[in-house]
Amino acid sequence: MRDVAIIGCGMTKFGRLEGKDLMDLLAEASLRAIDDAGAGERDFDSVYVGNMMAGELVHQTAIASALVDRINLIPAGAERVENGPASGASAVKNGFLAVASGASDLVLVAGGEKMTAVDTDVIGDLVSTMTHPTAEYVHGVTLPAMAAMLTRLYMERYGVTERHLAMVAVKNHANALKNPYAHLHRECTIEGAMNSIMIADPLRLYYACPISDGAAAVVLCPLEKAKEFTDKPVRIAGFGHASDVQTLQEREDPAVLKSVQLASQQAFKMAKLEPNDIGVVETHDAFEILEIVQSEDAGFFEKGKGHLAVEKGVTALDGELPINPSGGLKAKGHPVGATGVAQIVELVWQLRGEAGERQVKDPKRGFACNFGGFGNNTVIHILERGW
Amino acid sequence: MEQKFTGFKCKSCGRVMYPKHDRCLDCKGTEFEEVELGEDATLLTYTKLYALPEGIEMPPLVLGIVKFPGGVRAMGQLTTDDPKIGMKLRPVWGKLRKMKDREIFGFKFEPLK
Repeated sequence: MRDVAIIGCGMTKFGRLEGKDLMDLLAEASLRAIDDAGAGERDFDSVYVGNMMAGELVHQTAIASALVDRINLIPAGAERVENGPASGASAVKNGFLAVASGASDLVLVAGGEKMTAVDTDVIGDLVSTMTHPTAEYVHGVTLPAMAAMLTRLYMERYGVTERHLAMVAVKNHANALKNPYAHLHRECTIEGAMNSIMIADPLRLYYACPISDGAAAVVLCPLEKAKEFTDKPVRIAGFGHASDVQTLQEREDPAVLKSVQLASQQAFKMAKLEPNDIGVVETHDAFEILEIVQSEDAGFFEKGKGHLAVEKGVTALDGELPINPSGGLKAKGHPVGATGVAQIVELVWQLRGEAGERQVKDPKRGFACNFGGFGNNTVIHILERGW
Repeated sequence: MEQKFTGFKCKSCGRVMYPKHDRCLDCKGTEFEEVELGEDATLLTYTKLYALPEGIEMPPLVLGIVKFPGGVRAMGQLTTDDPKIGMKLRPVWGKLRKMKDREIFGFKFEPLK
């Protein structure tokens, strides 16, 4: 396999983006990434578009074909990649494999979602359709309900309290305030979070991500050709991708995200690295409990101790292992198809030292965890400086 | 006829699963028999859901994961507003919700007296 580099990246602002449709967002992010790579004159071989539910949300299908038409990447082979909320990272993985295999030399990976095109209850229902049709969905099970049940298990078993969830939210909101691309630009306090409305006891509104529109994109090429484009190529050092049973209750242990464990182990093995080699992390904190659980199951903290790391400030922007400097899904926003690509974009900026006020101190390697379903299909990427 | 909550026992290795898979999670066997999971399940975790899905009338909707004596777990609605981890529940047949004006029935979990 060839070494693969990210030579350009870009994204739209995340948020309720009135007046911009899904294709506007995908085109904007893609052109920014292509400009960033200085690849405007070049012919692309392949295009992968991470997207979960354009058909359902904006009544448009075959969006990868639409994107190459819109920004003239014709005749690149183009396809949409769907893996629930991990569609973005799955698209990056496919782009990586296309370059690594030697099949493609220049690849665009974009991810986007226009979530605010429909009412909130419609979104809630569409997202719930990821659950098991007969063993979960028909019973009224929603993603917040699953996150709440996982949270309660953690509270019972490991002593996690509501205050720990609030601390994660406060940290991620503070980081998002320094990210011009983030959806939520408002300070969050412990008291404010703990007084927000209850959505799924013990989860309050502030322990869950907002509904956002947005898109993100990266350009990939073989590392050996990266110098034609940039002095700071970012190497994709490893990836991992693993699944687990669909229902939460049938997991070997419902408090363990085994797909996160397996995918992380695969990625570390491929990269020949260990968790303590990582300097910056982006997790899939659609619910704040998930940042804690993922940080443990990925191998950064001992099982049941992730909340203590939050408490001690280890995961803060100036801590030993900053998690979600972008603001995370919680405050940057979670346009589902865009999320996995946007995590990679954030890591590229962090590794290149271009993250502005939220710059982590000199990270050499970054780790991203994007998951589909409720933790039953996880894609991990490890990035490192390629210069 | 009284409905019983059933799981699916792999005819090759004996593992009992719920919900049904087309291949056994342990041995990849493809033949199963339905087996009753019992009347005394234990509550492992729960939530009271206030952001309700379509066709549920009154918040909160109480959902939980229960564990049957053989170790098989199931997720479902609880008929109590005062759930306690470790409490004993039994499956009872009833209306779950309306979906597109159609009434959906299934098993819920009711505290054992």
